[in-house]
Amino acid sequence: MSEENWIEVGSTDSIEEEDLIRFDHQDKTFCVYKLTDGFYATDGICTHEAVHLEDGLVMDDEIECPMHQGIFNIKSGEALSPPACEDLKTYPVKVDNDKIFIKID
Amino acid sequence: MKNNIVILGGGQAGIYAAREIRQNDSKSNIKILGEENLLPYERPPLSKDFLLDKKKEEDLYFHSSDVLKNENIEFENISINKVDFENKKLFAKNDNVYSYDSLLISTGSENKKLTLDNNLKNDIYYLRNLEEAKKIKEIVSNKNKITIIGGGFIGLEIASSLSQLQKKVIVIEIGNQLMGRIIPKQIADLVQNTHIEHGNEIILNKQIEKITKKNGDYEILLNDNSLIETDFIIVGIGSTPTVKLFENTNLKLDNGIVTNQFCETSIKDVFAAGDVSNFYHPFYERNMRLESYQHAQNHGICAGKNIAGVKTEYTSIPWMWSDQFNLNLQLTGICDEYDEIIKRGNDINNGVIYFFLKNNKIRGACGVGIIGKVGRDIRITSKLTEKDTIVDKQILSDQNLKLNKLIQK
Repeated sequence: MSEENWIEVGSTDSIEEEDLIRFDHQDKTFCVYKLTDGFYATDGICTHEAVHLEDGLVMDDEIECPMHQGIFNIKSGEALSPPACEDLKTYPVKVDNDKIFIKID
Repeated sequence: MKNNIVILGGGQAGIYAAREIRQNDSKSNIKILGEENLLPYERPPLSKDFLLDKKKEEDLYFHSSDVLKNENIEFENISINKVDFENKKLFAKNDNVYSYDSLLISTGSENKKLTLDNNLKNDIYYLRNLEEAKKIKEIVSNKNKITIIGGGFIGLEIASSLSQLQKKVIVIEIGNQLMGRIIPKQIADLVQNTHIEHGNEIILNKQIEKITKKNGDYEILLNDNSLIETDFIIVGIGSTPTVKLFENTNLKLDNGIVTNQFCETSIKDVFAAGDVSNFYHPFYERNMRLESYQHAQNHGICAGKNIAGVKTEYTSIPWMWSDQFNLNLQLTGICDEYDEIIKRGNDINNGVIYFFLKNNKIRGACGVGIIGKVGRDIRITSKLTEKDTIVDKQILSDQNLKLNKLIQK
């Protein structure tokens, strides 16, 4: 795991619990979530149609697409409810000095 | 016990039912009989991304043939022309006979047709299935001025797609607003503005008197004597449940096949799901028939559970969407039973939602906004509706206050 792939997203207080922020980096969009047990990150675009998940609903460990209600597990990326059937890519997250970092491959 | 389960209708409700049955019953034979020689596919993209060439035919299928094979679900392309409920048999046009222990009817719905002179029938196009979408896509590539009769979801989605293909589009609607059957006028007017901004012409309150073919083009005479010249005509004026096969049987019909909250029809071991079913909704305490993606899916799943012996009430709060230009319109619940309307938001860039309340509880809501802007709030609204929550109207009406505050209380 090389250090240079950890990208700083923002401070830990920039996300409310059970919510997310969008993070753009080099033409890619990510969503970073604060759940009850920590921070998580996924791709920021729904696998069903090209819609930003930043406007979606976070509930329990799930993110629901705002356009067609496809649901994904935030921790595993698993597509849980149609029309989404392709899993969402997830990324490792770490917190260091109240800053959130995600590891982009 | 091993049963023969037959699913009549190879659409979305049918495939979701089949897979749900298999989840609960590993032994029974499951056979889907479909009229189209295609595995079940998604219809919403036909009027949008398929016409715009953003999605191809292979992107539309719900599941590959491998998935069906792995789950031991048979699919057969066959047209049934007689049903014998007493002896539990279906008869096909080619003399095949199918016996069932349990039958699911998921025949869907079909387009209402414009009444026209017979000699014009081949000139008018409708859009429901892939074949029709392919035809329209091919023909419009050589047309410029296209008229759409009917200002409902399908007509407006086609209008949006054709406008994006640089066509001149005219929409003629008989009612005094677009999408009048289920969308509140306040929202319909916002959508109408967007069509006009993109150059589409919207004509309301007009009926078609006559269509005349002239040198390969058409003249449409309206009831105010105005005349529209056009190269191509597409009609989307609603649909009716596909029940012709059952008209002279004991199956109870009334705007579709009447079912209870368990997807059961008036005949034992016969179930119905999706567009064809006029089902009892326990939350709204009334029967309704819905034509939507979410309903076809969830009702199919519910029927599948009940067929497999897992008694399950259908309680999904209705939800549907339409995408036109860069707008996403969503509706949840029902918007025709209310004593108060509350508006949230003022412009489509951030989303506008109208909530329909009765006794301080939400019965339904409808919103429209730039893609992504109303989905979260509409989803929370579905949950508030389902939970029969008495809502804080201040939070509903103020877009700066998050709606999930209401759900967490």
